[in-house]
Amino acid sequence: MSDVVVIGTGLAGLTAALRLARSGRSVMLVTKGPGGLQLSQGTLDILGYTPERVERPLEAVAAVASDHPYASIGADAVGAAAAWLAGALVPELLVGDPARNLHLPTAVGALRPTALAQPSMVAGDAIGGRSYAVVGVRQLKDFPADLVAGNLARSTAPDGGALAASAAWVDLPARPGEADPSPLTYARALDEEAFAARFARAVAAAAGPGDVVALPAVLGVRRSGVWRQVAEVVGRDVCEIPLPPPSVPGLRLYEALLALVRAAGVRIITGSRIVGRTLEADAVASVTLAAAGGPRQLRADAFVYAPGGFESGALEVDSFGAISEPVFGLPLTATDAGPLIPATYWGPHPLFAVGVRTDAAGRPVDAAGAAVHPNLYVAGGLIAGAERWREKSGDGIAVATAVRAADHITGGTR
Amino acid sequence: MSEKSRAERAQHLRERLNNELNRMSLDQCVKCTICETSCPVAAVTPLFSGPKFVGPQAERFRDGDSVDHSVDYCSSCGTCSVVCPQGVNVAELNSLARAVMKAEHGVPIRDRIITQTVLMGQAMTPVAPLANAVLDNKLARFAMEKVVGVHRGAPMPTARTQSLHTWLKKRPAPAKAPTRGALVYFHGCAGGYFEVDAAKKAIEVLEHLGYEVLVPPQGCCGLAEQSNGLFEQATKSVRALVKALRSAGTDLTIVSTAGSCTGMLKHEAHEILGLHDTELADVGTRIREISEFLMELHEAGELPTDFEPIKQRLPYHAPCQLKSQGMGTPAFDLLRLIPGLEVVDSNATCCGIAGTYGLKKEKYDIAQAVGKPLFDMVKQTEQGLAACDTETCRWQIENSTGVRTVHPIVLVHQAYGLGAVTP
Repeated sequence: MSDVVVIGTGLAGLTAALRLARSGRSVMLVTKGPGGLQLSQGTLDILGYTPERVERPLEAVAAVASDHPYASIGADAVGAAAAWLAGALVPELLVGDPARNLHLPTAVGALRPTALAQPSMVAGDAIGGRSYAVVGVRQLKDFPADLVAGNLARSTAPDGGALAASAAWVDLPARPGEADPSPLTYARALDEEAFAARFARAVAAAAGPGDVVALPAVLGVRRSGVWRQVAEVVGRDVCEIPLPPPSVPGLRLYEALLALVRAAGVRIITGSRIVGRTLEADAVASVTLAAAGGPRQLRADAFVYAPGGFESGALEVDSFGAISEPVFGLPLTATDAGPLIPATYWGPHPLFAVGVRTDAAGRPVDAAGAAVHPNLYVAGGLIAGAERWREKSGDGIAVATAVRAADHITGGTR
Repeated sequence: MSEKSRAERAQHLRERLNNELNRMSLDQCVKCTICETSCPVAAVTPLFSGPKFVGPQAERFRDGDSVDHSVDYCSSCGTCSVVCPQGVNVAELNSLARAVMKAEHGVPIRDRIITQTVLMGQAMTPVAPLANAVLDNKLARFAMEKVVGVHRGAPMPTARTQSLHTWLKKRPAPAKAPTRGALVYFHGCAGGYFEVDAAKKAIEVLEHLGYEVLVPPQGCCGLAEQSNGLFEQATKSVRALVKALRSAGTDLTIVSTAGSCTGMLKHEAHEILGLHDTELADVGTRIREISEFLMELHEAGELPTDFEPIKQRLPYHAPCQLKSQGMGTPAFDLLRLIPGLEVVDSNATCCGIAGTYGLKKEKYDIAQAVGKPLFDMVKQTEQGLAACDTETCRWQIENSTGVRTVHPIVLVHQAYGLGAVTP
């Protein structure tokens, strides 16, 4: 038996498990798959749009509507949670200031606000007057250098200044004979010093005019500091631009957090779903693991449920439009998807703000505002009140609600 | 076999591939690439284009003929299904697709030989010194590679002079009367013939805990045949094993030291061979991998932990077919209960052998590259011993690192004071 069972290994589950284990709790972390972190940009968004583009995220957090997940946590606690997680990542993997957004180029040359980013990315912050020498790799289809440069060159920096960009290409196969290499194939090749040196020389020879050499985010997955090796050879600042999945910066962040969780003594079960729970009075006594060969009960004093939302199947919509949370049967802010799906693609999608409402401790509540189970906490994408992908608030909500749940368990119930 | 029967066999397998639930699961694929990033084979060779590409994507084009032969480079480690967050049965689909391809194009004679684990044990045990000498002989291994296609560097089991069942017949009755009732013990082919010492120690640990240990005569689970696409033979093997294990009692817990064979009984025979027998489901739900069983006792407060210290650092590797049972790493948890033992989890995906994959001359180098991070980790952390739950993985680790690799129960046996690890 563990003190706490944490369900989910996205950013929320990993953060909760780490925080709990570092407070001396025995933790069992259970997940079906590795979660969305390795599909992410490998940065930590707090709040990017309200819907106007946000430059000072904590100020914007302080002003959210009362039903937003941030409202009951507060800007100071959100900032502290993000800073705690960044500080736990040694060697440094997330840098920046939770109070100020960076604006980093994307793989189509747009600018994306985010609070904390990897050291290999921050030289790309869009400051007026900055010029980018974008360099693509011919064999890597997910980084269209000409499109990136063209879009950057016609963009205005948030400070109102102009940006400039040039595009160039290198021709350097990572593995001979491979027709369609993924970003990860390149990252693994660049983990080797010799290939990284060849890559750097090719980039140095090809790069056009620009203060910062902008490269696809493939500069090593296991070996840290590959970007420094490349920057030294190129003789200019280098910035990595994250690609569609498989996202190398997302993998770096996922593997770094997983290593911390393991080092903190957390036991991990991968590959089986949690499909139900047993109760003793109102409290959750165990969760049911659908392991090969039949169900197993995992008992604990407290449970943190961090399974994500619709994208991971933690929230379901059936063919009649009925919305449900199938594992614990938790009360949701809406149960009929029909009226929540608008005809316009770009409009607000209120369906994605549907989820579980919580009390100030992070426990799911019923319509009357009472905790459903005294020892069940939720964190991350399951919590109602935010359309995360539009706001760019999902990472910050995950981290802040995970820290809230962990701190309530360690400070409140034991 | 006639061409007609081969065509019929391919047709039967293709119908399964097209119609079973696994096929539906491919529509759940959202192309997130998590399986691609986790696949240990695609990481080291472009010959395998990755589980998503070969599975949920290429599957849509397999209409009439197996167009993509790179599925043969899948090692069947099962990692893709374990990590898929959407519940796509990637490995099961690819195993079936490979079986169809092999039914269409034929199975190398080599693959028919290396899957006959019981036969190997029965043939080698009476002539153990000779068999071991032949397998240690460079010239013999060179000839074996040329003629049969088993790589000269691949790990081979060591034959023993006495099988487990011969030992069971000859040993005196246990000194202690059972206090906890009876269990059925499943030792697998390795426990029966090649790793007899580990099997004996498992029995002694269970008896020490107060169980009466029933060991019915038992054969192979068919996993090696299954992973080589020989589904009919695998079906016969697993059904015979189910019958044998049930012969000792139909309501007893079955405890196993054969980690991957346990997975075959728990889920693979059902999911990959498509067997829906109630007898299989009965055995599959009653069976426990031995560390899983002991940790269940521990959770219930029923495992004595009066362990003698073992002062040593021990690299431990959780094999793929244990991880695919979705129960965590019970041996890692169990070994950490032993005072003084510093257990270091390899956190490596795969050792590369994947049953018989790494034996094959065309796949040996791939398997070695897959296992390299694990081999490096073992060499860096070992103090004379490593531990791993499945037999072919132990032989692979031992062969590629030179470090003696044992079943975790061997250390539990020592910690209970039942005897030291034999050199």
